[in-house]
Amino acid sequence: MSGSMRLSGGQVDHDQVLKFTWNGNEYKGLGGDTLASAMVANDIRLVGRSFKYHRPRGIFSSGSEEPNALVHLRSGARREPNTRATVAELFEGLEATSQNHRGTLEWDLLAFNDLLSPWLSAGFYYKTFMWPKSFWEKVYEPFIRSAAGLGSLSGEADPDAYDKGNLHCDVLVIGAGPAGLAAAVAAAKSGAQVILAEEDFQMGGRLLAETYEVNGKPGADWAQETVAQLGTMPNVRLMTRTAVFGAYDHGIYGALERKTDHLSNPAGKPRQIMWRIYSKRAILCGGATERSVAFGNNDRPGIMLAGSVRAYANRWAASAGKRVAVLTNNDDGWRTATDLVAKGVEVAGVIDTRDREPLTHIPGAAVVTGAAVKDTSGRRALKRITLTNGQTMDVDCLAVSGGWSPNVHLTCHQRGKPVWDEAIAGFVPGGTLPVGMVVAGSTNGTYGTGACLAEGRSVANAVVKDLGFAASRAGAAKADDEPSDVTAFWHVKDSPSRAWVDLQNDVTSKDVKLAEQEGFRSVEHLKRYTTLGMATDQGKTSNVLGLAVMADARGRTIQETGTTIFRPPYSPVPLGAFAGRAKGKDFRPTRLTPSHDWAAEYGVSMVESGPWMRAEWYPRSGETTWRDSCDREAANTREKVGVADVTTLGKIDIQGKDATDFINRVYSNGFAKLAVGKVRYGLMLREDGMVMDDGTTARLGENHYVMTTTTANAVGVYRHLDFCRQCLWPDMDVHIISVTDSWAQFAVAGPKSRDLLRKIVDADIDISNEAFPFMACADITVCGGTPGRLFRISFSGELAYEIAVPSRYGDSFIRALMAAGEEFGVMPYGLEALSVMRIEKGHAVANELTGQTTARNLGLGRMVSDKKDSIGAVLSRREYLNRDDVWHLVGLQPVDKSKKLSAGAHFLDKDAEPTMDNDLGWMTSVAYSPALGHSIGIGFVKRGGKRFHDVVRAWDGVRGEDIEVEIVHAHFVDPEGERLRG
Amino acid sequence: MIINHPLLGPRDASEFYHLGDASLIDRPDPDAADAADQFYEYVYVRENPAGEYRELWYHEAGDRSWLVVTRSTLTHEITNVEPARDVARARGRSK
Amino acid sequence: MRTLSTQKGSGCVAEFTLEAKPVLGGFTKDWSGTTLTELTNLAAVAVSVPAGGEKKLSAALKKSYGDGVPAVGESYVSKDGARVVGFAQDQMMVLWDHPPHGGVATVSGQLGDTGYFVEQTSNWVFLELSGPLSRASLERLSALNLHPDVYPVDRAERTIMEHMGALVVRTGEDTFLLASASSSARSFAHAVETSLDWVS
Repeated sequence: MSGSMRLSGGQVDHDQVLKFTWNGNEYKGLGGDTLASAMVANDIRLVGRSFKYHRPRGIFSSGSEEPNALVHLRSGARREPNTRATVAELFEGLEATSQNHRGTLEWDLLAFNDLLSPWLSAGFYYKTFMWPKSFWEKVYEPFIRSAAGLGSLSGEADPDAYDKGNLHCDVLVIGAGPAGLAAAVAAAKSGAQVILAEEDFQMGGRLLAETYEVNGKPGADWAQETVAQLGTMPNVRLMTRTAVFGAYDHGIYGALERKTDHLSNPAGKPRQIMWRIYSKRAILCGGATERSVAFGNNDRPGIMLAGSVRAYANRWAASAGKRVAVLTNNDDGWRTATDLVAKGVEVAGVIDTRDREPLTHIPGAAVVTGAAVKDTSGRRALKRITLTNGQTMDVDCLAVSGGWSPNVHLTCHQRGKPVWDEAIAGFVPGGTLPVGMVVAGSTNGTYGTGACLAEGRSVANAVVKDLGFAASRAGAAKADDEPSDVTAFWHVKDSPSRAWVDLQNDVTSKDVKLAEQEGFRSVEHLKRYTTLGMATDQGKTSNVLGLAVMADARGRTIQETGTTIFRPPYSPVPLGAFAGRAKGKDFRPTRLTPSHDWAAEYGVSMVESGPWMRAEWYPRSGETTWRDSCDREAANTREKVGVADVTTLGKIDIQGKDATDFINRVYSNGFAKLAVGKVRYGLMLREDGMVMDDGTTARLGENHYVMTTTTANAVGVYRHLDFCRQCLWPDMDVHIISVTDSWAQFAVAGPKSRDLLRKIVDADIDISNEAFPFMACADITVCGGTPGRLFRISFSGELAYEIAVPSRYGDSFIRALMAAGEEFGVMPYGLEALSVMRIEKGHAVANELTGQTTARNLGLGRMVSDKKDSIGAVLSRREYLNRDDVWHLVGLQPVDKSKKLSAGAHFLDKDAEPTMDNDLGWMTSVAYSPALGHSIGIGFVKRGGKRFHDVVRAWDGVRGEDIEVEIVHAHFVDPEGERLRG
Repeated sequence: MIINHPLLGPRDASEFYHLGDASLIDRPDPDAADAADQFYEYVYVRENPAGEYRELWYHEAGDRSWLVVTRSTLTHEITNVEPARDVARARGRSK
Repeated sequence: MRTLSTQKGSGCVAEFTLEAKPVLGGFTKDWSGTTLTELTNLAAVAVSVPAGGEKKLSAALKKSYGDGVPAVGESYVSKDGARVVGFAQDQMMVLWDHPPHGGVATVSGQLGDTGYFVEQTSNWVFLELSGPLSRASLERLSALNLHPDVYPVDRAERTIMEHMGALVVRTGEDTFLLASASSSARSFAHAVETSLDWVS
């Protein structure tokens, strides 16, 4: 026996017994159970404590609307808080524990909060805990935060995987109840590509929970057959356990598929997949959600939604009580009584708030009409109800139906405004629906199984016709329309006790009235002041009730009162699903240079540089800090020869009859006269006159160039060039393609670099200074015929080359370079040494090219040609950018050579206070110069170019430093550039 | 969002880079007497319409076409998508 | 173009020789019938269409490859097995079995001066994804609609997968050629592998 409250029949597998634990005690459930249904079957009444007052709470509903039965699922790192027991599928070994209590669930030490309720009403945190002021942050807030709330996180990294994906369809059907199934069948028969998404693990919707017949057979059987039929159609994708949670632009829907949540172990597969569904049309068949009635102490365990009590009995074969009463304002509530009696459950009474004849005979039940429940008793579970007429009933379960609210949420995600329909006492879709969305079934306010089946079919037929498919002529499945009359009834006003509107947030009818009295009358204010309708259930059972109480307090209609805006997600989406697989190393792609594997073998410290992994230095034994390695590498390059992988620089192949003219327009300096076989430094401005990027461009042929960009700007420069050629000069014959990854490119720098390369480039190639001078370039072959490119350019200021081979040869090539250089003392150098050498030469990089620097700031003012137009030329001539006191990039060295400079320090005249008015500029880059034997820096100083040898202060308020520095030329090493021409 | 690429059909906006106002195509004549003023307007001054807006999108993760997309800033409805090169030519740009 | 290399066979023997290494070392893996395999012999040359030169290039293409300039997103295979892919509005990619360099000479030998050519072989990693799980694994990576009615054999579009640009050529009902940048080849292969692990 799987629980003392287990009935026979239903959609559960009585032969498949599943063991689970609740707060450490073992219980048995059945295949097809949810955790909630298994708890109901095992007569577990008390499942949690409420948010604010720590009131005992029980299972309230049977679906994703559940406000009370929030539990911790699983244990250890897999513990998931705030799981709705009503949607958690039972599996063998499931562990669940209760949350939000101190001590045991039964004896919650925070239950005294309930006695403090007069001080915890709506907005209490703005009023009650105001004095003394200093107590808020240190005493009140931490206490309230720890006492209120829901479950707690495991505190460990989530061990499970999540993924994302994309799906396409002609028709997305959301919800697989009668309307959804009928719509899916009709759409599928037309040949359209159909996705049917259902949040439940079984398709059928209310048909699973009811005793209605479709086409003369039990509704659940019809649903099963229909699903089986759809499953054979290649144009249909059936997705159970998939909640469509948001409607986005242009027919895109977000859906969360719980892929392995129902398994005890996901076995390495993703738990959940977030799908982006691209649909041409969507048919929303989201059903409706039942709501409660506000009466005194209506939150006790055992007080449940009537449709859910019925669902537990019919679908899950579990009785929610031994003696049940029904409170209803509509015909549907009566169905619960009928079905319970049919299942052999005792029904003590049916209370209909409407003054009417009994709808049907309920054997053994007292029928009271024109009355309601006024109060209830029973501390940890319901024991007795008292009616407005004074009558009492001893029951352990009260099934309440305050009517049904269509699930209009997704219709509102593009700001559609639902409209009130008095006939069904509910909001139906209104205003502008998301593009391509149509609605069918009870979401549309269409109640009755037969009507839902017919509407699903006709709506789908219209949709497929609209898409150009031939609609199927097959008729609708037949079913009766069960009675569903309703007369709105919200609130038992003469209840002596608190009446809950929102169970999850502990909002009572009194709180709503208080909000009204204090002026928070707009529904959006009401929501924020009382927290009505927030949290995991998003007010699915409480919103309409809250609005109705507010409307009543204001003496207005519900339509006038309006609803809050529903936003995605419809149901909770874990952050892990939003992240998908993008965590840890998979957060973004990693780009590797061609010498990566060699460097790892050689011994390297790598650093992330954007997406690239780059060598920062190559430590050797005996070196204790990065500085040791860096200094050695820089010194070795200046004295002998060094090799660095510079593949990360962007490389763009540019060809066409107009290539020269094009390059001459995107660079501010002249390129019209660059000879074939030569390289030139180019400065690229944005149209606002600021420096965008710089690099070298080589002319490989009459109409053929290769441009390099900085590593960081490679993508942006490419985009800019494409903009220029497509949008500005559309008829130019210019063609670009990225060749960044095509070439493994190495800087070979230092006085011995030519000697090294002589052993590498094929012997018939003359690289003497005369044949291949500074700024020469050529297509060459290396190592016996492998094609390559050679550029005589220098970033370090030494005699230097950059040499490239197709990147597939890169690994082999770095090994060859190192072997060839052995006799000359070659060492690889990393980013740090590269940076030291460029600071010694005063070359600007990203630290200096901030997007706010002009050519003039960089001392490159003459590189903006006034003989031609180029991007940025006009605005670079603006007066403000050319005034006398602009910043100049200069070198800086400490007066006391033993001092270490800091980047970020601001410059001040000797006696000036550190104020913004006195600010002269800032230090952009610093390094220890092995060549000079002391710290050096470069930075921007107002009028710096006219202040050489002045001494100013480098003031660093963050680090508490104040160092005297001398302004010098930024070229610290070999200012005349003799070495690189040698 | 979905951008209906004139050559490739409907494509997710995540494949695109968004630049901004399509008036960036109309780069002023640098030789005009009031070039400085015109460039100031061109670079800095934008309409910010509540409604139909023409803007440049770059199919960066696709065929690398620059496109002019006409989109409503109120509803995101996209009513027209044209290759920017064609638009530039139609607006008199050449070399 | 200025080339410093003189005639072949000048008699000197190079001290070092270079070896081309496929970026993934010839990766191949099987998921019970669905395979992911690095294509190590595929060469790629980009061919750009000169402004106003489409007719001339088209004629040359027809002669050597059997068809003209493909529209963006389309591709065809020549009788020698070369695939010509419409890559951008005025650019295509020619892919064929060839050693890892020297492809430009082959293509320009066939097309003469009717286009602009750029060596692209080393720029890419080429993976063949083949088998019944191929579409399901790509669903997790790409927003392309790969339904055969929408994306038939020879369809070739570029898209983004896990932040990496990718060319997706459908070469068979369940077979796709995927190309992505060679520097991020390991991340790209890892992304496809992860998808296959998770859908298998």
